[in-house]
Order: sequence, then C-alpha cells, then structure tokens
Amino acid sequence: MIKNPLSHLPRDTRDTLFVLTVIAWVLAPLLGQLPLWCGVLSGLVIVWRGLLAWRGQPLPGTWWKLGLLAVAVIATLITYKTLLGRDAGVTLVAVLLTLKTLELRARRDAFVVFFLSFFLMLTNFFYSQSLLTAAAMLLALWGLLTALVNAHMPVGQPPLWHAARIAGGMTLLGAPIMVVLFVLFPRMAPLWGMPADAMAGRSGLSAQMTVGNIARLALDDSIAMRIAFDGTPPAQSALYFRGPVLGSFNGQRWTPTDGVALMRDEDAGLQVQGPAVRYQVTLEPNQQPWLLTLDATAQAPALPQGRARMSSELQWMQAANVTELLRYRAISYPQFSHGTGLTRAQLRPYLALPFGYNPRTEQLAQQIRASAPPGQDLGRYAIDQALQRLRSGGYVYTLEPGVYGRDSADEFWFDRKAGFCEHMASSFVILLRAAGVPARVVTGFQGGQVNAFDGFWTVRNSDAHAWAEVWLASQGWVRVDPTAAVSPGRTGSFNRLQAPRGIVAEALLGTVSPEMALNLRALWDAANNRWNQWVLNYTQVKQLNLLKDIGFDAPSWEDLVYLLCAIVVSASLAGAAWSAWERHRQDPWLRLLAQARHRLQRAGYMPGANSTPRELADLLERTSPAPMQASAQAAWRDWLLRLEALRYAGDTTHFRQQLATLQRVLRQLRRDA
Amino acid sequence: MAIMTRARERLQRWFEARLPLADSVTLTQRSVYIVPSRAGLMLGATLLVLLVASINYQLNLGYLLTFLLAGSSLVAMHVAHGTLRGLTMTVIAPAACYARAKAIFHVQLVNTRQTPRYAIELALAGVQQWVCTDVGRQASARVQLAWQPPGRGLHRLPTLTARTQFPLGTFRVWTVWRPAAQVLVYPQPEMHAPTLPIGVADAQPGPTHATHHSGEPDGLRPYRRGDALKSIVWKKAAKTGELVSRDSVAEQHHTLWLARDATGLSDAESQLCRLCAWVLQADELGLHYGLRLGGSEIAPDVGAAHLQRCLRALALA
Repeated sequence: MIKNPLSHLPRDTRDTLFVLTVIAWVLAPLLGQLPLWCGVLSGLVIVWRGLLAWRGQPLPGTWWKLGLLAVAVIATLITYKTLLGRDAGVTLVAVLLTLKTLELRARRDAFVVFFLSFFLMLTNFFYSQSLLTAAAMLLALWGLLTALVNAHMPVGQPPLWHAARIAGGMTLLGAPIMVVLFVLFPRMAPLWGMPADAMAGRSGLSAQMTVGNIARLALDDSIAMRIAFDGTPPAQSALYFRGPVLGSFNGQRWTPTDGVALMRDEDAGLQVQGPAVRYQVTLEPNQQPWLLTLDATAQAPALPQGRARMSSELQWMQAANVTELLRYRAISYPQFSHGTGLTRAQLRPYLALPFGYNPRTEQLAQQIRASAPPGQDLGRYAIDQALQRLRSGGYVYTLEPGVYGRDSADEFWFDRKAGFCEHMASSFVILLRAAGVPARVVTGFQGGQVNAFDGFWTVRNSDAHAWAEVWLASQGWVRVDPTAAVSPGRTGSFNRLQAPRGIVAEALLGTVSPEMALNLRALWDAANNRWNQWVLNYTQVKQLNLLKDIGFDAPSWEDLVYLLCAIVVSASLAGAAWSAWERHRQDPWLRLLAQARHRLQRAGYMPGANSTPRELADLLERTSPAPMQASAQAAWRDWLLRLEALRYAGDTTHFRQQLATLQRVLRQLRRDA
Repeated sequence: MAIMTRARERLQRWFEARLPLADSVTLTQRSVYIVPSRAGLMLGATLLVLLVASINYQLNLGYLLTFLLAGSSLVAMHVAHGTLRGLTMTVIAPAACYARAKAIFHVQLVNTRQTPRYAIELALAGVQQWVCTDVGRQASARVQLAWQPPGRGLHRLPTLTARTQFPLGTFRVWTVWRPAAQVLVYPQPEMHAPTLPIGVADAQPGPTHATHHSGEPDGLRPYRRGDALKSIVWKKAAKTGELVSRDSVAEQHHTLWLARDATGLSDAESQLCRLCAWVLQADELGLHYGLRLGGSEIAPDVGAAHLQRCLRALALA
C-alpha cells in the first residue's frame, strides 16, 4: 500500500496546498501568453504561500499585499500601456488570483479565489481551444469543485478522494445539462465591440510577401484547413489551394495587384473543362476574408452565410474576415483556362518592375529574350529557359537560406542559389517580367496529408506555398511552379523538409518509429478534426439546421428559446413527479417486512401492524394450532431472523444483494405455502 | 424598524405554530427549504460574466465551460437538498435540570440511504451556534445541544434548525423542527441556604421522643464501635471513605415538614429556591421529610423517588 504523503499533514495545510496546486494548474497554460514578470510573480507568490502553509506560519500583513498589488498594476501599465483590453485584463486577473491566496482566511476569500479561477480558466480559451486545452481545463474544473466540496466537509479529515468523487459525480450529472444548453442556447453576435487586441497573435497566409515571411509559416505546424473530398481526391501534387495573388512588386515586397476588382463570376474570363472535384473545406480562423479553394473554382463556394465573390485573379473572398471556424462546399475544375483574351493594357501591371533593382537578373532576361528563336512564343521559351536553369544550375531547396539583401533575385540566381518557394517564385517572376513576359506570384497552400482514420485531408500552415503564373498569348494564365523544378519532393510527396524540432519534441518523437509517429499523428488529427467539426464549429447556422432536422419549418433563434423553455418545464415536471413518487416510496426493507406480514396474515396469523421480524417469528411459535406445517414454519422463522440480521447486524456493503436474496426466498416461501 | 421587527417576530411565531410537534421527524420535500446563499449569488454573477465573455469572444469552449459549471451547480443544488431530505431526526428526551443551568439534550440523526450525508449542522432556532456532524451511509450520528431554559417548570424543548451548506456552499438548505419532548426544570437550589428547620417528632410508626433541636443539619458523628449498621450513613461513607453514624437524635424518626412558611422569605420564587436546597439537603442526610406547597402535600418519606416527587412539585408549583 502506498502511503499518501498528504495524509500526515494537518487538514488546513493539506487543503491549502491542494488549492494552490489547482490554481497553478489553471495558470500554467497561460504562462506562454502572460508577460514574464507576471509568470515569475505568480509562481513566487504561490510557492511562498505553499511554504507558509507547510510551516504553519502566519500570513503576510496587508502592506505586503498592497505593495505587491501596486507593483503588479504598475508593471501591467508599463507592459500594455493600459489596464483595459484582453491581455492586460488576463494579466491582472492572474496576479489578483495569486495575491488573493495570501488571504485565504474567511469563507468569502475562498469563494473569491474559486470564482477568479473559473474566470481564469475561460481566459485560457482566448489563446487555445484545442482538445488538449479542453482536457486540461476539465481537469482544472474537477480540481476546483473538489476543493470547494472539500471546504464544505468540515468534520474531521476526510480523504480528498471523497470530495473528488462527489465533485466528479456532480460534473458527470451536470454534463447532460451542459449538452442541452450548449446545443440550444442561442448563439449571438458579440454584445459589444471588443478591444483591438482580441484577435491578435494568430498568423496565417499574409496579404503581402517579403523574403523570409513564408519561412516562418513553414515552421508552423498548426492546421490551416481540412478538406473532405466527395469521391476520389485529385493527386496530391495537383492540390493547389489558391490564396492571395500578388502582382505588385516594389523591390522588397510583393503586394496584391493594384486595382484588382471583385467581379461577378462570369467576368473573370474563366473557362472550365473536364471532371469536377467536389469537396468541403473547414477553414481555421485566419482573420482574413480569403476562402481557399482548389484551382479553379468557377461557382461561388456555398457559404453558411453571405455570398462569396471572386476577384479577376480568381481568388474567392467573403465580405467579412474569417474569425471562427468556417465550413463551405466548393466545386473545382483542375482543367481550366483563364485570361486568354487580355489586352496589352490589362497586362501592363504584370510587367511592372521597380527601377534599379536586380541588374544582373535584368541582364539575364535580356539574354534570354535575345536568344529566343523567332516564331516561337517568347513566354513559353522564357519559362523553359528559366526552369532549365533551375534544374541544372545547382539550385537547392532549403528552409534556411539565410538573410537576403536588397537585390534578392540577383542573389538567388547568381550568388546563393538556395531558397524556398518564396525566393524561387519571386525570382522567377522577376526574371520573366524583365524578359517582357507577364507574370505574377500566387500564394496559397500546396498539398496536404490524408488522415487514414477519417479520410479528411489536413492542410497545415507548413504547407503554405508560393508559385508563379505566367501569361501566354495562346493559353492565358498558366501555372508554373519553379520550386517543383528544383525539388520535385516539395510537391507531391511526404518527404518535405522538416523544420528543426524542439528538444522536447525530439525526445518524444525521436523514440518512436516514423510510421508509428505518423499513425499517432493521424489519430490525433482525426480526434482534433471531430472536435473542430462538432464543438468549435457549432454556430448559429448549425443550431438552426438542427432545428430543421427535428421538424421546425422555418427555425429562428426564438424557436431555440422556446425549445429550451420546453425542456426546462418538462424537466421540472419530471422532477416534481419523481419527488412525489419518492415521498410515497418505502424503504425496501420495510416493504419486504410488510409483504411478509401480509402473507402471514393471509396464512391465518394475527400480526400487529408494526410487528418487527422477531415479533413475527415469536408469533409463529406462539400461535396454536399452527396454521402451517412445522417445516414451513421453521423456514419462515429462519427468513424472518435473516431479515432482522440484515437490518441490524448485516454488513452494509452487500445490502442490496442480500435484500435481493431475501426477496427471492420470500417468493419461494409464498409458492410453497 | 420596531414595527418591522415585531412583524417579523409575529411571522416567525405564526410559522413555528404551524409546525407539528414531534419527537421524531423524517424530512421530506415539504419540510426542507432551499434558497441561494450569498456565495450562490456570487456564482451566478460569475456564470453571467463567463457567458458574456463567451459571447463576446465567440468562444464555443467558453460556452461549454459556462454550461458545465452551471450544470454542476444545478446538480449541487439537488445534492444539497438531498443531504437533508430523507434524514430522520429524533430528539432524545433530556433529563430534568435545575433552573439557570443548561439543559443538555441529544438529537439522533438516522441516515437510511446508501450514501453518506455530510456536514449537517444543528442549532437552536435563532441561535447561531451550530453543531456539525456527518452521518455515514445507513448509520446514525448523535449530536449534543445545550439549551438554557427560561425558568423552572415544564418546558417544551426549543424549536430546532438543521441546515447544510454541502456540497458547494452555494445554497442554503434548512429545516425547522419543533420537538414535542418536554424538560422539567427544578428551581435553582439556593446557595448557602440556612440550616434545615427543626423536625417534628414522628408520631408513628416509631416511639415518641421529645423533640430535639436538630440545628446541626448533619446530626452526624464519626462512627463509634457498637453503632448499629443501619445507623451508618452509607451514602456519606461511599463519598468520603469514612464511616459516619447518624446521631441518635436523627436516628429517631423525626419528620421534617418543609413548607413555604418555614423559609422565612416573602418572595415566592426565593421560597421555592430555598425549599429546593432544603429538599436536597434533607435527602442527602437521609431525613424523613415531607413537603407542603399550597394545597398539595407530599407525605414524608425518604429515597430517590420521593426526592423526584418533591422536586417535581417544586418545579411545577
């Protein structure tokens, strides 16, 4: 038997240490988000409070607390320049909670600590709503309720697991209530405007591209979106999800083409052929209006709300930014042609280059242009030349090419000869423009991984990609992926460059085989996906769809309220009925005794209305002439004494089984009689 | 304010008068009351804040947390109510006591269900001195309560309150119960009461003797060899360990009549206090004494039963 080290502690010390542990558990996930001083201060205060409890020393005076509070407020002001707003608020609540543990004296103090902790649990969800966070917070809730229940068991020193069992039971019974409320509570828009920092700190594809920007994304393994294909998915190498198209270049930075308007669908000059690919996208919030779709999507994706619009560069967008998980259906055609009829004037933006940058690339472009055989399409020739150079010129695909200078294309083509998709796409487009061929950079995602468990494709932020589109007079815009020329593995297989892992990840994943790691990850992704689909993506639209499924014709949020009220009323009625039934319910032992008494009465005895089992047993002996045979009488007597023993000498652990046995024997006795 | 207080008192009396008198009560839905406590209101406010935060930041996980907490609190309400509901409380009739002393009585709590009931607190109604106990599954517990009776006489036990804050302290669950049991309160024996009055020589059954001053209340002397066994005051001997004999005077069957007139006091209650002290003294000494109170008279006798009878008469006089 393992001895519980906590059992030796005085009750006060044990309870305080437990509460501190739970608070530390709630605070721990926030440490990455809080400023360093806040984490250090909170940690020190908790350890200090724990030591005071351990040694049974008195709590610090008011001045200490006020001093620490002042320090915390000033530090918050210095860090955030304000006390309002989300992050400053979370910091203050965290500090207040830990300082409040220093005056855990009155009952009210304890409640303040508990309620601040509940609030702090919620703040964890500002930063992450993942399955792991949810599990951690569920544990925290259990811990807090355990501490609260334990605080209300003042007699003696009951073991903590008693309180834990009661708290766990309450949480389990509360879960159905949670489900009903979660499903039916009307989802509404934010009640008032939120501080500006509410949506900060999340990255995705960017609306612009400077060298190095996508390298950071490539290190981000978080999920960008999930795809469920109807039927067979296209080859992985064909999965180009179109994001922002970047047509303007100022020498340092690619930005969206000036004057690209949102158009009506038919104005984009898009013709599609061949088989369609139908699929559903679950897009993680990216704080951008972009709807990522496979190239090329002719009809607007079916959004739950609002309408999607397409730009003349084939990018689909919605009116508002994607701030919550968004699910939409789309139909794409891998074979398409686009922009065949563009005029010279319309193409001019895609030829523009800033003056005075990348002189050597310009020179190379002139050579290509000069060597072009007459009669051949210059565009096609330039593409071939550039790809040929990439394939055979010793160019390397790497995630860590180093910092590029002012003339990034020159450095790529002639000096470093190393880079990733962004360098290659940018340098490729600059070269073609310099040669007089219209070209642009397209960013988005390429590839993805299929989950063997649920068939969903997962596209991660590390799948972010940049490629080129070149305009050919005969074909319109044609996709060219220079990265594929250098490193065919980058597109179309799992063998992508892995970003250096952290030490912990190395230790954890380094020990398992790659296939097993892949399987584990697939399983984990599937669970996460379910979580996203069913919990995080549960919006008003889904609520109303649910109502439609259960028979409401034109559901509105009022219907949700009615339904909720109906459930509350029927639950109350059921509760009232149950309590009425319970009032008349008898103790099973007494019921058994009453049955026996009744049975004996019918057999001819005269038992009193409140006879005990022993009195009945005596009655059997006393009554003469005996109405039943001696053997039956002995059996009855034996039964009655067992009934008595069950109540007054029985071991209560098997009460129910023994009661059931007695019931069975009584039925047997009745049959015999 | 005074009107409010009076109104509340009247309401309280009216409410208590409605309650049946019973020595044993099994609490049901009807007799257990529940309202949110201050902590419960605080929890409600916290839930509201959590809900608003979930709405404003569109946190589905926040909704889950809020609703799980709300669901658990609802279950806690049920658990709190269930802690008292179904509990059987029996008051154990207390022994008689003297005025100004506290009457100590016990309440037996019986739990027939399969789970324990935690943190049940009992107190006299209106007095915030709670006695807390757990009652195990299919077990009973006994708590001791002290009550200061208002004066001598036969008093019904005070109204009792049982409450619990288990499990979360967010609900106040309580019940009020009027036990039927009564406690007999004797007058408070006078401290340093004067010596017993002179007894009257008994006419019968013993032979007549000259009345003798028995000013020495004890009428005792140390044991001498030759004293009859029956003249030894065994009670005293048991207490002190020394053998003491009754003086020959006391040995004679003198009858001591105790009455209000003999006390020499005018205040009725003081008379009773002195009589009470005298009755106790006389019993201690093993005297043959009787009590006259108003119209009633208790014939001279000795022994515990006689003492009880006399004290009872004094209590109810």
